[in-house]
Amino acid sequence: MTRHLLKLVWNRKRTNLLLMAEIFFSFLVLFAIVTVGVFYADNFRRPLGYAYENVWRVAIEMPQARPGETDPAALSRARQLLVEVGQMPEVAAASAAFTSPYDDGEWTSEYKVDGHAYDYMMDEVTDRFRDVLGLQVVRGRWFSAEDDAAAGFEPVVINARMAREIFGEGEAVGGIVPQEKSTDGEPRTEKRVIGVIGDFRQHGEFSAPTDYVFLRHRLEKAKGNTPRLLLLRVRVGTTAGFEEPLMARLRAIAPDWSFKIESLEELRASNHRQRLAPVLAAGVIAGFLLLMVALGLTGVLWQTVTQRTREIGLRRAKGATAKRIHRQILGEVAVMTSLALALGVAIVIQFPLLDLLGFVSTGVFAASLVLSAAAIYLLALACGYYPGLLATRVQPAAALHYD
Amino acid sequence: MLASYLRLALKVFGRRRFFTAVSLFGISFTLVVLMVAVAIVDHVLTPRAPETRQDRTLGLYFASMQGKHWGWNSEPGFMLIDRYGRGLPGVERMSIFSTPQDVPAYLAGTRVNFDLKRTDGEFWKILDFTFLEGGPFTSDDVDQARFVAVLNDTSRRRFFGDGRALGRTIEVDGQRFQVVGVVPDVPRLREVPFADIWVPLTTAKSDSYRRELMGGFLGLFLARASEDFPAIKEEFRARMKRVELTDSHYDSMVAVPETPAERLANRIEVGPRRGVIGTDRQGRTHVGRFWAALGLLALLFMLLPTVNLVNLNMSRIMERASEIGVRKAFGATAGTLIGQFVVENVALTLAGGAIGLVLAAAVLRALTASGLIPYAQLQMNGRVFLWGLGLAVIFGVLSGAYPAWRMSRLHPVQALAGGGR
Repeated sequence: MTRHLLKLVWNRKRTNLLLMAEIFFSFLVLFAIVTVGVFYADNFRRPLGYAYENVWRVAIEMPQARPGETDPAALSRARQLLVEVGQMPEVAAASAAFTSPYDDGEWTSEYKVDGHAYDYMMDEVTDRFRDVLGLQVVRGRWFSAEDDAAAGFEPVVINARMAREIFGEGEAVGGIVPQEKSTDGEPRTEKRVIGVIGDFRQHGEFSAPTDYVFLRHRLEKAKGNTPRLLLLRVRVGTTAGFEEPLMARLRAIAPDWSFKIESLEELRASNHRQRLAPVLAAGVIAGFLLLMVALGLTGVLWQTVTQRTREIGLRRAKGATAKRIHRQILGEVAVMTSLALALGVAIVIQFPLLDLLGFVSTGVFAASLVLSAAAIYLLALACGYYPGLLATRVQPAAALHYD
Repeated sequence: MLASYLRLALKVFGRRRFFTAVSLFGISFTLVVLMVAVAIVDHVLTPRAPETRQDRTLGLYFASMQGKHWGWNSEPGFMLIDRYGRGLPGVERMSIFSTPQDVPAYLAGTRVNFDLKRTDGEFWKILDFTFLEGGPFTSDDVDQARFVAVLNDTSRRRFFGDGRALGRTIEVDGQRFQVVGVVPDVPRLREVPFADIWVPLTTAKSDSYRRELMGGFLGLFLARASEDFPAIKEEFRARMKRVELTDSHYDSMVAVPETPAERLANRIEVGPRRGVIGTDRQGRTHVGRFWAALGLLALLFMLLPTVNLVNLNMSRIMERASEIGVRKAFGATAGTLIGQFVVENVALTLAGGAIGLVLAAAVLRALTASGLIPYAQLQMNGRVFLWGLGLAVIFGVLSGAYPAWRMSRLHPVQALAGGGR
């Protein structure tokens, strides 16, 4: 049967080649958009690792000290801000940080295990960060006053994903995070893991899971970066009206700094808009492209059926049932689709083989491949359905008289 | 001749309405997408108020400091432009201004955010703003650090409703400014002039910006003529080699004034994380490559619609086999037939283009109204129309040529018999 269908397709190879080209390009378009969709859906169902509700973020804009240098006056003022804001009755917990959930910026570094480099993101936070964002510590403990005494090493908390990648099934707490040598050749303080948290996806629901390291920030120390952000967990029921008094308090302490107050919910909404808008635009365009292809394909198949009236009439005359005629037309469409998809898949599969996948994991890739191939089959068969039905209406007597 | 081709085409299109409708749908959709893209590029790049002298201006948008171990790419700092950008040969005027800063104001207890730009007095002389109320602040206002502000129309409405703003006071980011002028909204995509509120440079809360080589500022240079651009760039590049770096982690500085097209090319080609200005180490830019990439993208996008239209055309031609057979039998050459079919197809794409034009205008209006791109005034204009026309013709020829060629090769006998695979 398949052999016979292949022969029929081969007999009209020029026309069919063009149809297959159309199906092939449609597959590529669909695959691209489906991949992004599956990637987002896959990320969305994963745990975020923090609670963004009722968290406000104060961004501090001030003249920055050069990286690695300390501005003691700025540091002590940041400490004062944190203390005073933390005492306001509307604030349940306050912490300083370098970056935060839904922040556009990120702080990244990398480590090597067995020659393979892994990227990780970092944040430098004060002790109450866990309470502000409701982090779940799964092993060991979070930063506390105990760590003031830490000498010769830097205490860090990492996420479970990172613990798995570095330590496998072994115990992560007490382990050392591998580091590259410092760029200026000085030995770095070793980073010793004191605790592991569940997960932490800084860039929100649609972002892929990453490795994450928290460093401990002590504003009481004489040396260190001035924090960029204050994160506040406000009490349930605090309204936007609290913003103005909060701003007034901040400005009273630091009149020559600028502040920006946003809730994490606002940042989350804008993060979602930024992620989804391009995908939606591309999706609408791809949708129209596929609609165009569907209509075009239907038209061409319809025309083909009209042209082959005599051939179909002959088959009917020799006793083929309407069902078999319909099956033949759809079979031919299926054969063409399979050939086009074979080429499409052969090309697309090069991405994982050449390690060009980028942000997409193998699972997402495979799922997208299967989904888009299935969708193309469905589309092609749907386009063939009506022309196939027309073919079954061919009357043998009329067809054989046809000229 | 052409008239009779077109008459014939009309008959053919009328006969198979489904095919014609499907073809028109594909064509108009394709051209809508392309025309909207063209309109956006047009919106970003062509000279228009307040950037009426854009063809004579260069901007310093980007600087890159490199060291042995790391690099720092960002906008230039005030000191870099102030110390090394003055007195360039062929430059009539120059301006230094900050990138827009997102600042809060509390209006009736709720926060409203504004983009605030701090500028010098020259800013208002290089750019050609029309004022709805009052006028710009001057270099003297800047030198004296007067707390004065120019608002755009939307901000005026936010602060004062429908009333006049001139002479009244606004409070943003804890600072109070007196309004001296109101200008129409400037699209956000016009990076140089855009802001909601413009205030003097010297009203910044701290003057530490004056000692920064990197970050937060843009430079604008008005040349006597665009012919001076190469000399200006060369001189600036040379000056960058003499920059006194204040930070021992770095040993070289690369920065060069760019035209808006170069800026766009670099911004897109570089991405946020790639090295030096998306160009070579000397800071030379590649606008040609950028346009080529855009063209390729457009062709790639047209690929699927073209194959679709070719398929539709092929089946339509086969239906007309007997007509072709007759014409061939009476001595029509292959060239004539190809010409006829391509003309028919271009006529069809132009019709689709006309529909596309109307739809594109509607899409642009909807985009503008949606506020998706703040203050964008996207619209059809002569340039976009001409581009649309050109794209329609290219599309028509591309999708008509192959079917026409196939048709011209039909054997008369076979064609008369109504066949051909």
